[in-house]
Amino acid sequence: MAMTDVSTLGEFEQVVLLAILRLADEAYAVTVRDEIVRCTARDVSRGSVYITLDRLETKGYLRSRLADPTPERGGRAKRYYALRPRAVEALRESRRALVALWRGLESVLA
Amino acid sequence: MRDRLPRGVDAMLRRLLPGDLDGPIAGDLLEEYLDLRAHKGRVRAGFWVWWQAVRLSVMFRWERAAHGRPLPPIGDELRRPGHMWDSLRQDIGFGVRMLRRQPGFTGVALLALALGIGANTAIFSVVDAVLWRPLPYPESDRVLSIGEQRPKEGRTHGPVASADFYDWRRDSRSFVAMAGLDETSFNLSGGGEPERLPTLVASPGLLDVLAVAPGLGRDFRAEEEIDGRHHVVLLSDGFWRRRFGSDPSIVGRTITLNGNPYNVVGVLPAAFWWQTRVDIIVPNAPLAQVDSTRTLHWMRVVARLKPEVSLERARAELDAIGQRLSERYPGENTGHLPHAMRLQEAMVRDVRPALLVLLGAVGLVLLIACANVATLLLAKATGRQREIAVRVALGAGRPRLVRQMLTESVLLALLGGAAGLVVAAAAIAAFQTLLPAEFAGLPGIARIAIDARVLGVALIVATVTGLAFGTIPAVAASDLRVGAMLTEEGRGGGSGARSWRLRAALVVTEMALSLVLLVGAGLLLISFKHLLDVSPGFEPQHLVATPTVLPSSRYDNHAQVTAFYQALLERVRAMPGVEAAGVVSALPFGRQDARLGFQIEGRMMQSPIPVRAHPRLVSSGYLSTLGVPLLRGRAFTDRDADGAPDVVLINSAAARRFWPQDDPIGRRMAFGFGGTPRWMEIVGVVGDIKHASLDVESEPEAYLPFLQTNLSTMARSMGMTLVVRTRSDAAAMAPLLKAAVAEIDRNQPLGIVSQMDRLIADSVAPRRLNLWLVSAFAVLALVLTAAGLYGVMAYLVAQRTHEIGVRMALGASRASVLGLVIRQVGVLAIAGISAGAAGAAALTRFLATLLFGVSTTDPYVYVVVSLLVAGVALLAAIVPSSRAAGVDPVTALRLP
Repeated sequence: MAMTDVSTLGEFEQVVLLAILRLADEAYAVTVRDEIVRCTARDVSRGSVYITLDRLETKGYLRSRLADPTPERGGRAKRYYALRPRAVEALRESRRALVALWRGLESVLA
Repeated sequence: MRDRLPRGVDAMLRRLLPGDLDGPIAGDLLEEYLDLRAHKGRVRAGFWVWWQAVRLSVMFRWERAAHGRPLPPIGDELRRPGHMWDSLRQDIGFGVRMLRRQPGFTGVALLALALGIGANTAIFSVVDAVLWRPLPYPESDRVLSIGEQRPKEGRTHGPVASADFYDWRRDSRSFVAMAGLDETSFNLSGGGEPERLPTLVASPGLLDVLAVAPGLGRDFRAEEEIDGRHHVVLLSDGFWRRRFGSDPSIVGRTITLNGNPYNVVGVLPAAFWWQTRVDIIVPNAPLAQVDSTRTLHWMRVVARLKPEVSLERARAELDAIGQRLSERYPGENTGHLPHAMRLQEAMVRDVRPALLVLLGAVGLVLLIACANVATLLLAKATGRQREIAVRVALGAGRPRLVRQMLTESVLLALLGGAAGLVVAAAAIAAFQTLLPAEFAGLPGIARIAIDARVLGVALIVATVTGLAFGTIPAVAASDLRVGAMLTEEGRGGGSGARSWRLRAALVVTEMALSLVLLVGAGLLLISFKHLLDVSPGFEPQHLVATPTVLPSSRYDNHAQVTAFYQALLERVRAMPGVEAAGVVSALPFGRQDARLGFQIEGRMMQSPIPVRAHPRLVSSGYLSTLGVPLLRGRAFTDRDADGAPDVVLINSAAARRFWPQDDPIGRRMAFGFGGTPRWMEIVGVVGDIKHASLDVESEPEAYLPFLQTNLSTMARSMGMTLVVRTRSDAAAMAPLLKAAVAEIDRNQPLGIVSQMDRLIADSVAPRRLNLWLVSAFAVLALVLTAAGLYGVMAYLVAQRTHEIGVRMALGASRASVLGLVIRQVGVLAIAGISAGAAGAAALTRFLATLLFGVSTTDPYVYVVVSLLVAGVALLAAIVPSSRAAGVDPVTALRLP
């Protein structure tokens, strides 16, 4: 079961999930993108972040809540994201698989 | 400054994004927008946020649609009653449905429009790039070409004598810079294969005229025009990259050109453009003998106007200088004046008439396509009369109806235009591969493309086309007496007859326009045939030719030059398959020429006709190799060398012009005016040959034996061309000739080996291309016209089926019914042909400069083309008329 989940998680989906995990309570689209840019040093389009968040929520990996509207955002709420348990499990499984694959290759690839 | 998103962004996100996401996303964007606005300013932030909003929305909708969760269709909210946009949308939607419902009509109309608009776009892109785009120099409209005009000889912009150029340059005040130049080729040797390099010989100042700075190094200095200091060279960017691998240390190094060391002083920028390929520029090396003469015309002159000086003022100043020169040098300069025109015009003036004719021709094709689609629309409108009547009855105003039908036709034209762009792209690609060599040097040829400007013109042409062919049917169809239409069955009378007249008028117009194009194509075809029938005066088959220029460093005296060519001729004549060989200083169709003034012994210097001839240095056997007949006297032999009396052969054009009454043989002539004349005895008269092109009368020519030292400087600077009569082709001969040259001098490169018949074919290539294009347009026009005529006749027969049935029931024969329809076609054809003939007579005078040996009103062409149009009209009527004749009276009468 876990295997299937991992195989359906794309690389960028994992990146987004990890960024949300790192941000804890502060994860909404802008901060998620910033965190990805900061950690991976690659330019990520806003569109792909929104689309991936939408897709992960539809697949049941994320849940989201609307915060209270704030005046500095023109009265618009932020949508905060958090991981559902199966997302954590999928990430764990992914890490385990990757670590297993890495083992013994440090001298070649490190 | 309010903290909100720019107007419209919010609304767009709300319409395009899912309801639970547009708010948060708008908030996120606002956060970043405010930040960006504070740092980069309102405008940049505005662009950024619009771009993000559009991109996000598109990505989102795409993603959702791809995963089977499409968002609601866009635009439901935009529907507001009475809104302009709303009704336009309705019209477009309605138009699309109408077009889809009648695929036959739509297909035919789109095909006609795509061909019409596509051909126009393609020709426009060529004309625009060549005639209307400025040359690639800064302020290129200030760059002039100055030539010599000789009104008496019909020359408007000929080459210039260098002595005249030096005087113009010294005495004029209108120009920032003036430069004399000549296109030639130099031999490169040392460090790799010897090579012939296309070369510009130019006086210092050329780069100032063109306003180009060297990419590396420096320009020539004024003193480098002085003999002895002129061994400097500028390399083109392409040559520098190709031969020296972009080595920047090339500046200051020495390369060997024509056997002499030349110091590389600079490299031209990559963007440098000249109309021919240029690998190197060297300073004009003054030759005392050439520079002192005002009778050797060989140079082109370019100049850049000072910013405050107008072209007219510069012309006035040049005129004054020219007048002074003709007073000072009456023998040489009488009848000469400098003539200034913009360099762009000078470069394109040979092709301008042809290109404008093509643009006109393709415009006529588009008019025919318009008329054609208009007749189709009229036919369609007839079918929609009931529908329109109902809409009028329900309260639609006439402007509304017209607008709706115009929307349909513009929509059709825009679709046709889009398809036309494909046609145009294909046509441009084909044009660039079929391009004759003569066109390759035109400015802008390399830049022909469907760019924004061409797209804009195509869009305008398509829209105007749509309005043009849509207006008549739209106005006609919307002009309805509602009551009548709802009750009458639309047979015969009333609007039916009016619509028939309209269509007849359109078809007559189409036939007239086709006839104009066909007459034009016919005249060009006859011109071309006449041109091909012109004999060049020699046998061009089985002749190959290759030019050589001997460097003056290794061949600095007459004996060395002649020894080389004698040795070469000896070797070539001994090759298997070679029948004859010779050398000449200016090969026919080889784009090299010169003209010199000469004196005739015992005659006054001042002659009412200009005493000039084209000198050709030749070896013995050259004229017989070409097959030029010796009419009188004797040919040259190898005994006509140094030490023997100086001799000359003239062609019969020279004999006719300068010795119209008496026998030239035994008379003496001498080139040049200054110093002691070197008299040459005329020993023979040979046949005329065509030199530059088949359509120009042969000019006086004088053949001089190249073994005699007379003018041998010219032979060295212009080079000589080896001509070989052989059964082999150029490709087979090239290695053999190269080997023969290498045996004599292994540092001597060989020029391109050409076939003489190919050179002549190339000389008519622009005409051939022109003929092809105009003929293609004419055929297209005829096909469109035939289709239009067929449609009209089919309509007519359908309208009159009832009447025909009655006639047949009353005893009319098949033949008389056929006659009825054919009479009608005949009336249309006669009207179309007469109108077309009148139009052709008025329009073909624009073709005059492109014609050869045929008058613009050649009756043969008019008769043949009229018969062709009449024949096609009859063919187009055959199917409808035989259908009419096959009508079963009973069925016809039973029809409502």
